[in-house]
Amino acid sequence: MAARSGPAYRASMPAAHARSASLASDPVSQFFGMLAQPGHLTTFEGESATLRFDLLDGQRTDRWYLTVADGEVAVTRRGRPAAAVVRIDRPRFEAMVTGRLNAQAALLRGLLTVEGDIAALMMFQRCLPGPPGSRGRVDPITSRQVMAERKQELSAS
Amino acid sequence: MSDGLVQILEGNTFVVSDDRGDIEASLTDPTGLFSFDTRFISRWVLTINGQRLTALSTDDLQYFRTRFFLVPGTGTVYVDAQLSVIRQREVADGFHEELRILNHEDQPVRLTVRVDADSDFADLFEVKDALKKKGRYDREVVDGKLVLRYSRETYCRETWISSTVRAGIDENGLLFDVEIPAHGEWKTELDVVTSDGQHGLHQHGARQHRVRRDMARGLEKWIQRAPRLESDWKPLEPIYRRCLTDLAALRFSTLTMPGRALPAAGLPWFMTIFGRDSIFTSLQALPFAPEMASTTLLALAERQGTRIDDFRDEDPGRILHEMRYGELTAFEERPHSPYYGNADATPLFVVLLDEYERWTGDTKLVQHLEHAARAALNWIDEYADLQGNGYVSYQRRNATTGLENQCWKDSWDSISYRNGDLPGFPRATCELQGYAYDAKMRGARLARLIWKDPALADRLEKEAADLKRRFNRDYWVEDGGYFAVALDGDGRQVDSLTSNNGHLLWSGIVDKPKARAVARHLLGPRLFSGWGVRTLAEGEARYNPIGYHVGTVWPFDNSFIAWGLRRYGFRDEAAHLVAGIMQAAEVFDGRLPEAFGGYSRGLTRYPVQYPTACSPQAWSTGAPLLMLRVGLGLEPSGDNLVVDPALPSWIGHLELLDVPGRWKRVDAFGRGRVDTGRLLAR
Repeated sequence: MAARSGPAYRASMPAAHARSASLASDPVSQFFGMLAQPGHLTTFEGESATLRFDLLDGQRTDRWYLTVADGEVAVTRRGRPAAAVVRIDRPRFEAMVTGRLNAQAALLRGLLTVEGDIAALMMFQRCLPGPPGSRGRVDPITSRQVMAERKQELSAS
Repeated sequence: MSDGLVQILEGNTFVVSDDRGDIEASLTDPTGLFSFDTRFISRWVLTINGQRLTALSTDDLQYFRTRFFLVPGTGTVYVDAQLSVIRQREVADGFHEELRILNHEDQPVRLTVRVDADSDFADLFEVKDALKKKGRYDREVVDGKLVLRYSRETYCRETWISSTVRAGIDENGLLFDVEIPAHGEWKTELDVVTSDGQHGLHQHGARQHRVRRDMARGLEKWIQRAPRLESDWKPLEPIYRRCLTDLAALRFSTLTMPGRALPAAGLPWFMTIFGRDSIFTSLQALPFAPEMASTTLLALAERQGTRIDDFRDEDPGRILHEMRYGELTAFEERPHSPYYGNADATPLFVVLLDEYERWTGDTKLVQHLEHAARAALNWIDEYADLQGNGYVSYQRRNATTGLENQCWKDSWDSISYRNGDLPGFPRATCELQGYAYDAKMRGARLARLIWKDPALADRLEKEAADLKRRFNRDYWVEDGGYFAVALDGDGRQVDSLTSNNGHLLWSGIVDKPKARAVARHLLGPRLFSGWGVRTLAEGEARYNPIGYHVGTVWPFDNSFIAWGLRRYGFRDEAAHLVAGIMQAAEVFDGRLPEAFGGYSRGLTRYPVQYPTACSPQAWSTGAPLLMLRVGLGLEPSGDNLVVDPALPSWIGHLELLDVPGRWKRVDAFGRGRVDTGRLLAR
């Protein structure tokens, strides 16, 4: 494998996720479309599994299959054996694929259930975007500010 | 742990009770049955004819099993009891309790036996911070079992309580009408099972019995698999055995890798994955239990950061800091799902991967984790260089529940100038630069040897050399002869003298000519207490011998400092640290606390324990193990294990037999020749 520089890592997530806040009417199709389009995600290299997503929408169940084979990604709507079956309400899934709901938190809350290999779900969550508005940077704080804050806390207690 | 409390545990399930086996928790009180960071039992009180019991003795049979010998009554005057009660408790998926009542009279007795049960379903964080619950409680009887339930929206946690002997069950517990014949016995078995309300509970019973059997066998096997130790210095064998047993108790399995274990950070409150603690402990335990390192690497890679998430301080490639499973994490009121706020675990991940391969020759794992390791190396340059000055810095983006200090000295006042002022943020502490240097050097070795990517190897080596050159210029405190603990946001030196200098030796970032001065400081009167190296030197404004990171001695810290001293050829100096920590271990019966007071040894005679909530603490448990490696001078060299002992003379003969590694099994022998008398008398 050739040496990869920084930009290749940014590509470990579909580029369009950076614009997740402006997703159109069907975030689910769009999300799966974005996974399938590049066909390869570096974050999935060395991993292989098929997940089935059952998206519950009133009486309807929308079914999606995601297959990962050593970084290669394929999305279908047709049945195939899956290592893990994930069940979740469609609005919750929409929140997840647009960075507004954390997958691990959703699992702990019982918002999603997983049947089968939970490691497959752990793998999948790596391709979810971060929360809208996360910048990765904050303004520096000076020593004087830190000391003033401490003084305030001390006098408050 | 507070006095008088008894704890047993398995995985991340543990029970803390009083010496009778009773649990009467309040929201702020740390007793109860805990699992996945949630309290499932907060009240568990045994009475006979309405009377509480008194403990005659409590035996910790195993780390997961305790036996309580009780008699009725709570009087202070000694009781002439006609009844004995034996309560034996084991932890599995919840706990299992065998309750036996012995009648010593020559006539039958009728008794009312009652077990009160309740749960507040508190999150561990709520226990620490005394927070109020937002959900709903209810309880019901299902198939003769008492079910306690807490729900908040779709979040649900349940405790199922059952008895082998039929009980009268009401909402507050179980009631038994018991008749015991003369000199007879009555017995029941109580099962307390935890649930998230989704999984079938029926499998649980069978699973529990299997788990219990495996635990007892597992501990024996674990100790048998480790190298055998013999020494003229008799306390060493029990110290070694205690470390292995505690390390076994600290084994933690993740949901995704059942059957594999990594070291959790500490018992009982830190029974979870911590990036930093799990990595350091895995490094310490490599010569003894190398499989822990591989599980740590796999588990951390699985949860490696992939996105920008300010709430969790997550970046692509970053290795997690702490993982939690409780209600506050579930509702994103805490960021531990997982939280990524540390700046050291990511380079240390690469360090562990390389060190693991050097010991075991497991190139498969290095290949499997190639992407993770590359992403970690990339994080150092692309995401950790917050100031664009080529140094790893940290500053939390989650200002409410994130961590201020994202290095191992994570308390608020740990990083200070000589005059006691605290620097601003971002902060670039010195040991982070050392870890980054080491990660690049080791990453280069893996790239060349295993990933077959010489271009990457060349680049990493060039970057490492450049970092080392700049570091030795920018961090060197000229008038002190040591490295500053950090650079502040303006690139100014945070100039206090700290134990961090020892980690720099360990990482290899120190220029040879400067190493002598650093070693002299580490064993000098300002840092060395006679037991070990203090976190902060005497004479600094914030120095306090019982301050958490500002004067206490940390066994884990010392074990890595000793390794660093050996790396630079300071054999005698390393032997002094081996001596101090081993002698402290003897005082603490083999179980070193997280930290002890930095008082001079001549002043207190005994190391004064710093009161912390967790014992054993994983990286303190690992400290004597790493000290053994350092003292014997164990170092992989190709397919061989080099043994080059430098041990305190009073240890006499020391042998470590069947050390596992790429050489299969090798015996290591040493004889103590270093006179440590003078310095330790300090």
